[in-house]
Amino acid sequence: MNNWIINNFWIKVVSLILAVITWFYVNEELIKEKHMTRQLYKSSVMSQVQSPSYDKKPVK
Amino acid sequence: MNDYLSLIKMLIEIGILWFVYYGILLFARGTRGVYVLRGIILITLIFIITKQLGFERINWIFTKIFALSILAFLIIFQQEIRRGLANIGQRRWSRFFLKESEIISEITSACFLLSKRKIGALIAIERETRLENYIESGIEIDAKVNSELLITIFTPNTPLHDGGIVISGERVAATGCLFPLTQNPKVSSMLGTRHRAALGLSEETDAIVVIVSEETGGISVAISGRLTHDLDRESLERVLSNLYRPDKKNSK
Repeated sequence: MNNWIINNFWIKVVSLILAVITWFYVNEELIKEKHMTRQLYKSSVMSQVQSPSYDKKPVK
Repeated sequence: MNDYLSLIKMLIEIGILWFVYYGILLFARGTRGVYVLRGIILITLIFIITKQLGFERINWIFTKIFALSILAFLIIFQQEIRRGLANIGQRRWSRFFLKESEIISEITSACFLLSKRKIGALIAIERETRLENYIESGIEIDAKVNSELLITIFTPNTPLHDGGIVISGERVAATGCLFPLTQNPKVSSMLGTRHRAALGLSEETDAIVVIVSEETGGISVAISGRLTHDLDRESLERVLSNLYRPDKKNSK
């Protein structure tokens, strides 16, 4: 077990740093993407509600 | 409960990413792709930092360079990438089933016969770091390791005796390979080219390099830039088996 850690130690450390950076970067991008989708959805709903044709009831 | 679950998910995802990065870096370490990979990692880091700091123009430039460097990497190293992907399915997993003791015994027998006859030899045993770059510099053989073959290869005045051989897994991958000479100024000037090449390779990779001196017939082993001289049969076998199977020592 000890040998496994010592063997190529710096490659393992660099890989871990890269993995953590990648994870946080992708996580942040995903949060941004979700936020943007939500905003787009909200704005499209709002524009539909605010459009003059929205209140009109169908003529019987 | 939900927090614990997301923490576990995060750790698993980071673990998977770590494994992928570690595999790529190990694979690249033995090839010429390592310099390009370093460049790509540097550009990626600058790209992330500039994005976080909000330097839009610099970030735009690095985005373009990053996209181009990925494309360049794929084109320049398509052979290495193809070989690496093929190895995932073939080589790495087969290591679990190797008969290490048999291979060690064959190498030791060959070394001692060569030592008796004072025939010089240079044998690199691949471990985790790939030695593809060095295999490419020689003549590919891909033969099963056996002492007769090793002795025949190093017999003087034969076409393949110059340079070193690389043992990868249970195969003699190549012969006549060129290894880098050590640049360490502290290395004794009494050492010949063969020993310098062994030290150079062991500095750059995690390979075990066995050297048989042509002048004295002495057997040495180079590991991590360090040379151990004049090994007897027992100590050579012990060194090789401990390094070839690192867990063996701990399980005792």
